[in-house]
Amino acid sequence: MAEATTLKAKNEQGYWAFVNKQFRKKKTAVISLYVVMVLAFVALFAPFLANEKPLICKYKGETYFPVLKELAVGFGIGEFQPQFQNVNWKNLQYEMAVFPPVPYLPMNQDDNNIHSKGPFDEQNVPSKRWKHWFGTDELGRDVLAGMIHGTKIAMTVGIVSMLIASVIGILLGSLAGFYGDENFQVSRVRLWGNLLFLFFGFFYAFGARSYDITDALGRGLGEGFVQLGISVLIFTTVVVAGNVLVMLLKKIPFLGKQIAVPFDLIIMRVIEVLNSIPTLFLILLIISIVRKPNLYVIMGIIGLTGWTGIARFIRAELLKVRNLEYIEAANSLGYSNAHILFKHAIPNALSPVLISIAFGIAGAILTESTLSFLGLGPADTVTWGQLLSYARQIPQAWWLAIFPGFAIFITVTTFNLIGDGLTDAMDPRLKQ
Amino acid sequence: MKPVEAEVKTGKTESGKKFFFAKISFPLFGYILKRILIFIPTLFIISLLTFILISAAPGDPAETMLNRTSGEGQASDRLATERSYVALRHKLGLDLPIFYFAPTNLAVSDTLIRIPIKNHREMLDRLTYQYGNWAQIENYYHQLKSLEFAIVSSKKDSTNANALIELRNTAAKFFIHHEDVVLSALLVDLKNQSNVAANLTEVKAHAEAVATAYGKMKTEATTWEKYIPLVQWSGMHNQYHRWLFGEAKWFGTETDPTLGRGFIRGDYGVSFTTKRPVKSVIWDGLWITMLISLLVIIIEYIISIPLGISLAVRKGSTYDSGVTVALFLTYSLPVFWIGTMAIFFLCSPDYIEIFPSFGLGDAVWSDGFFYKLGDLAYHLTLPLIIASYASFAYLSRQMRGSMLTVLGQDYIRTARAKGLPDNKVIWKHAFRNSLLPIITIFASFFPALIGGSIILEFLFTIPGLGQITYAAVLQKDYPMILTNTMFAAILTLVGYLVSDILYAVVDPRISYSKK
Repeated sequence: MAEATTLKAKNEQGYWAFVNKQFRKKKTAVISLYVVMVLAFVALFAPFLANEKPLICKYKGETYFPVLKELAVGFGIGEFQPQFQNVNWKNLQYEMAVFPPVPYLPMNQDDNNIHSKGPFDEQNVPSKRWKHWFGTDELGRDVLAGMIHGTKIAMTVGIVSMLIASVIGILLGSLAGFYGDENFQVSRVRLWGNLLFLFFGFFYAFGARSYDITDALGRGLGEGFVQLGISVLIFTTVVVAGNVLVMLLKKIPFLGKQIAVPFDLIIMRVIEVLNSIPTLFLILLIISIVRKPNLYVIMGIIGLTGWTGIARFIRAELLKVRNLEYIEAANSLGYSNAHILFKHAIPNALSPVLISIAFGIAGAILTESTLSFLGLGPADTVTWGQLLSYARQIPQAWWLAIFPGFAIFITVTTFNLIGDGLTDAMDPRLKQ
Repeated sequence: MKPVEAEVKTGKTESGKKFFFAKISFPLFGYILKRILIFIPTLFIISLLTFILISAAPGDPAETMLNRTSGEGQASDRLATERSYVALRHKLGLDLPIFYFAPTNLAVSDTLIRIPIKNHREMLDRLTYQYGNWAQIENYYHQLKSLEFAIVSSKKDSTNANALIELRNTAAKFFIHHEDVVLSALLVDLKNQSNVAANLTEVKAHAEAVATAYGKMKTEATTWEKYIPLVQWSGMHNQYHRWLFGEAKWFGTETDPTLGRGFIRGDYGVSFTTKRPVKSVIWDGLWITMLISLLVIIIEYIISIPLGISLAVRKGSTYDSGVTVALFLTYSLPVFWIGTMAIFFLCSPDYIEIFPSFGLGDAVWSDGFFYKLGDLAYHLTLPLIIASYASFAYLSRQMRGSMLTVLGQDYIRTARAKGLPDNKVIWKHAFRNSLLPIITIFASFFPALIGGSIILEFLFTIPGLGQITYAAVLQKDYPMILTNTMFAAILTLVGYLVSDILYAVVDPRISYSKK
């Protein structure tokens, strides 16, 4: 018995150790991994790298950490001291102050350097410490600060929207691949009953309470969540009560007859429809009906339109996996289908999905910067695509065309290279 | 299998040429027909999806089109604007329900959507949500309307001028509020203001009627009605049906030219911004985008297939690894960046000016054919390069990969073993088989090009489908967006069909007839 467990552990470790070894063989992939780490560092510490507030300062005899304080204020766990509210941080008379490496914020203008001053132009700055190393834009905003804060946006968009896409893609793709058209059997009453109770649940929980929820959300997030919680509670109650009723009705022979739910057919049709509309057209269509596209909306849209690739990937994988012996073994041991799917089938099909997630992050970053470049991206932040789009208006400002574009290029390339490296590392043909 | 055999037999008796034709094309035509039949429901669902998304858009199109000023001015003016607004809403079909059926509840009335003004609709919807008794709510609304009319139509003199202005402001507030607290306070205001001047008896009577109607609405509330779900059936008279099929007669001549003919009969509606038929704008754009996409595809395949093969043949050499890395980097270069840089450095008088930076040329109708062609080519060169480089890198990589897979097969080894020259092995044995994956890519390639047209045409200001869509999105011109999205989808589906057919032509093993 003990031998078996050690063998199992060794085998499990074996696969990932093997993938790791293969991945390490590819130099470009390893370098890309380091580049991603640097990007993640810049993204995480953006407020410490480019900020108008000092990192640490001594003001009227007391020591403050304004950037840390700013983070605390952002999280809602603190407030700025009254003497610091509505002040220009640069003009304060400090006894001692250490500013971040880039002492500018991306949205704030430097009035002395408007009309896009280039890195080699003469800049109206007190010393080299305050130089705009990557130049400024038409309004006098520092490009380097914009790039640092843009890293945060790009990484967030890439990761969050791919998270949304993978959850949807993995769930739908595995349903389609594992159950196919015939393997998901339920009684008639359970299928129709559940559709009906989902409708009723939605109706009573959200339809009949729509204005209660929106009003509460308008009054504040806390109240909104309370109302949403009540709605979710109503929804679950209706669905659970419905299923209890279904249990009783199942005794009637006609209603209790088992029928198959054609998951594969339905999900593949949905994917086909989504793939028939060019993604950018679909995204523009959705953006046109959103009042003000902020960052969350953009991430949601990219996630909701980007899951089909992952779903197809995992479907194909599960079509293979479901015929393997260990699934048969689990079946004969009497495990339920859902248990087999979530405990045995998906974990084994998941690793190749990593590849499409890596490529997907690159794609999501590219989509977001494309939207920003077209002027349809998040309006409340500075992004790389947005900086690049300014270059179109000012033909002399080459720094606006080169630096942000290069940042997009590097990020997209590294994620693509990681995806490429993973593809090679997970290639089963290499294992022999 | 049977029909094919029968066809083969009849073909054989007549002529050799027809035999060949029958053998190849009978199943293929059947297959194409089948695919086209499958497209119809797909397109139907796409139209449904896009239409419902669009109808969820905020704002009132009729209001935007008329640029309505708020309710100031003379009574007759106001009535005139309201009448034209109602007429426009009717013309655009906005007073119809959106779809054939809609899930709703017992309290909601189907007359709500006919209320012309958006704020009023929202206010009435709120009241329905609160009180549920539509008959009383409607009564309250009518009383409000007649009060408003009484205020604007009563004679102004020195004693009541101020009171009338105040009254008008108070009355206007009724139309945007639904909260009981606010409305009760407003009712008190109304009473006080109508008491100020002696000659406001009519207004006073209407104000009292509003107060009674409001009280009745509250006391006779039937809030329970909103808890009874209901599926409202609207029949064929709805916005979606009107947009897709139109209202004009299908056969014979239509006497009423104002009736639309619907999307499937080539009537795409009227643009909100230019007020011109969408059709007149969209065809030109469609041709430009299709021309560019086709040219790009041809260029890409011409370059990438030989390149991919040469890389596969010299696998492992420095040439191979160098070009592969270069291709990977090109593939990752964002099109809009390279496009911006190209325009920046190659089209601007500040740096090097060798290409025009925008448009499709300045040739006019009277210019000679060759001048026009040359001008078009000159303007298209840079856009075509920019559009092709990224996917040609991707295609070459794929071609290299698929050629390598084929070259590893046993039959290639056999061919080499029996002493065939390298050239013959590659072109005769490997080439056709290695093409298959490239053709599959075509299916995903075409939609990417159509989608990419948005960026490309934005960059170079080419008036194609993408540029039209982009402008429409900025201006929230929904009929335009809807039509463009539908055409993008149709083009994509055609692309899928072409790739299926190419697949059949290249690979004789694939049979589309039923076994």
